[in-house]
Amino acid sequence: MSEHEPFPFMHEWLSDMDVSLAGNLKRWADNEVMAKRLEHKEDYSQLLEPAMKKLFLDIGLQRLLWPEKYGGDGHNSPGAALTMAAALEQIARGDTGIALLLSGVWALQSCIAMEDNLNEEVCESLSSIFVDKDLPAVVSLVLPLYRGTPQATAKLQKGSWTVEAKGARPIASGADASVFGVVCSLDGAGEGVGLIVVPVHAKGVKCGKPFLKTGLAANRNADVDFAKVKVPESHCVAQGEEACRGMLGWLYLGISASTVGALFASYEILKEWGDNRVIKGKGQVFKSNPLTAAVMAEVAKEVSLSRMLTFDLARVLAEPSIYGSPGEERNFITASMVAHQVAQSAEKAINNAMEMMASAGYATEWNLERYWRDTKTMQLCLGPYELAKMDFARYFYGSQAR
Amino acid sequence: MRTIDDFTRPLEYLSPMDDPLGKIVRNWAEEYVIPYRRKFDEDWEDHDLIEPAFKRLMGELGLQRVLFPEDLGGWGLGHSNYLGTSSYRLFEEVARADSGMAVAFGVVFWPLIMIAIEPHVNRELCEEFAPIFCSTTEPRFAANAMTEPQGGADIENMEIVKGSTIQTTAVLDGDEWVVNGHKLWPTNSGGVCNLFGVVCTTNPGSTDPDDFAFIFVPADTPGVTQGPPYEKAGMAADKNGDIWFDHVRVPRHYRAHGPGLDLKYFREVITLGNMGSAAFVSGSMMNVFERLYEFVSSETYQGKPLKEHDAVAGVLADIVKDIDIIRVVGYQYARMIDRPDIYGPRWSEEMVIKGRAYKYWACDRAVEDVGKVMNLMSAYGADRDWDVEKHWRDLKIVQLWMGGKQLCQMEVARWFFECETL
Repeated sequence: MSEHEPFPFMHEWLSDMDVSLAGNLKRWADNEVMAKRLEHKEDYSQLLEPAMKKLFLDIGLQRLLWPEKYGGDGHNSPGAALTMAAALEQIARGDTGIALLLSGVWALQSCIAMEDNLNEEVCESLSSIFVDKDLPAVVSLVLPLYRGTPQATAKLQKGSWTVEAKGARPIASGADASVFGVVCSLDGAGEGVGLIVVPVHAKGVKCGKPFLKTGLAANRNADVDFAKVKVPESHCVAQGEEACRGMLGWLYLGISASTVGALFASYEILKEWGDNRVIKGKGQVFKSNPLTAAVMAEVAKEVSLSRMLTFDLARVLAEPSIYGSPGEERNFITASMVAHQVAQSAEKAINNAMEMMASAGYATEWNLERYWRDTKTMQLCLGPYELAKMDFARYFYGSQAR
Repeated sequence: MRTIDDFTRPLEYLSPMDDPLGKIVRNWAEEYVIPYRRKFDEDWEDHDLIEPAFKRLMGELGLQRVLFPEDLGGWGLGHSNYLGTSSYRLFEEVARADSGMAVAFGVVFWPLIMIAIEPHVNRELCEEFAPIFCSTTEPRFAANAMTEPQGGADIENMEIVKGSTIQTTAVLDGDEWVVNGHKLWPTNSGGVCNLFGVVCTTNPGSTDPDDFAFIFVPADTPGVTQGPPYEKAGMAADKNGDIWFDHVRVPRHYRAHGPGLDLKYFREVITLGNMGSAAFVSGSMMNVFERLYEFVSSETYQGKPLKEHDAVAGVLADIVKDIDIIRVVGYQYARMIDRPDIYGPRWSEEMVIKGRAYKYWACDRAVEDVGKVMNLMSAYGADRDWDVEKHWRDLKIVQLWMGGKQLCQMEVARWFFECETL
């Protein structure tokens, strides 16, 4: 983490293991992604898939939170939130799309595998996915598109949920998921919404063809149909608004930390530019011109504050004994505000960096444009900001606006 | 239903040809571009899909001829009273479909501005080069070779740097210029160019305006090498690459005008470049409006179309307010270009500066607004099939080119506040 020491965070919250892991992941990013992307660009089979396999399988991050009893590493206490933040920063620095995919894995696992909320039946049935030695586990989350209205319905009958949705748009990996986490309107269970786990091979699941999109090449997304898909009752791993919000809190932490990683990379690229470019007319190194220095300062400020906010959020999730459960309204609002703020900061900062690098900022060769596209695409996973504000207004002002 | 034609234009200042010209291009866009543009990104290198659209617009419909005098096979826009506003309309309509195509099309005229526009027509060069564009139905491209590896903004920063950083040299050897240098990034390079307008110096390191030279170099002249196109975040229809000029010899009369006059009229190139940029922004944003209108009318939230939500409507208002104002300002600037008798020469420092201000303001607004549109569209905002993300990617380079924002800021501040050391 030493290169990013200028960017503040609460050092005392991280364990030695967290720091060591972050160092390993920085090396992964340097060796498995950055060293190869000039040649392979965003090629999935040549670059991203091998890098994912190294990360998910060899380093074993897909089983980090998974219970030891079921073949995982057993790092399944709330403190894993801080590990997650430290890890995803470094992963996203290499490839933001891969970081988002891992965020989805951990968000789903937060509902199933946490020591204080262990769902033994589902852990048993999904172990073959998360402790597989050959295939990365790809989790595809189907969330409400516009805050509150799920894309899918689920009806409980005779011990099974029947899940239905047509043309549902996941946030990621609809084309190549191992397992789906589908937020559904529940029928027959008393509570309004629930998160239901659906393995990809369940009868009635039909994944569409991947569609082209702005960024996140590791995320091969497609619309999905769930045609009367039956799963056991236990596969509703989060029932009710609070439980579903808890999962979202972990996801938003993942997205925030991944965005910070992309900001680190953008800072590095801009710093190199500022160190070496000369403004001939002024005889100045780029970074020493007051105007460009002012804009570079703004970039650094956005990175700094984003990192601090992300670790603050991680701390909230890591200490339920102090802050309450992740799904409590206060904590969900915090997670949503932090995620949106960090995403907006990244949009502003990377836009500024591109402006200063002009054509080089736009060219594939310099890599900055990839982080620009990736962070923007990832921001959209949060849903429309105008509608998220309704949650903030309700919480802070008692507003009834929806 | 509101359409893009509901956005404001100064109707009393438009050419009688505005409507028919606009319709020609709009029909072309609907038939040749919009059905295919979702595949343009993958076509950035080969232009298998893009080339037929260019051929139809520029060659067959003849829009690559518009600037040349009629007696040379052109349409005479170079001596028209509607140079600005007519160009603006053409660029808008093309950009609505694809801004990469718009800039590639617009830049065909860019170097030709030096020789084909009153009051500084170089008849000899018009006669020499018109056949390239006017005697064929194949698309033909020109490029303004300006940026060099050590900088582009410095070269454009004429008030302060005065051309002293230009490293591409032009040396007179008898009746020929010998050009040596390396340019990069011009639109319509990457192997497609037929005619370069090359920014050179006749005395490296000099700040004397007489030493700034604008010299035309046909792309097939021995010693000219065009490198392959760069891969970029967008603008696939615009090819950009390296060009090397290795002891390239062209006739003496291929210099646009001569000492002092080349730099003087080159400022007009900057003026029209800024106008064109505003037009590309305008056109792109109008298509963003079209797609956004469809989206917020069809997607529902709490049982009503998304547009009926008050908070969403607030953002929608901000977006269309900006689109309308960008259009008003852009056409105002085009009008100023049409009427140098009122607003001063197109190459005046004032005209250049005001173009810089309008351009960077319009780009900033557009980049921010398209980002907001993508956010409103949630998971569909990044989806190629909704077209908005393409405009988001394309508009960014419009903001970055022509010296970028910082050069614009310095020049604008310098002129309005009469700064002496900026």
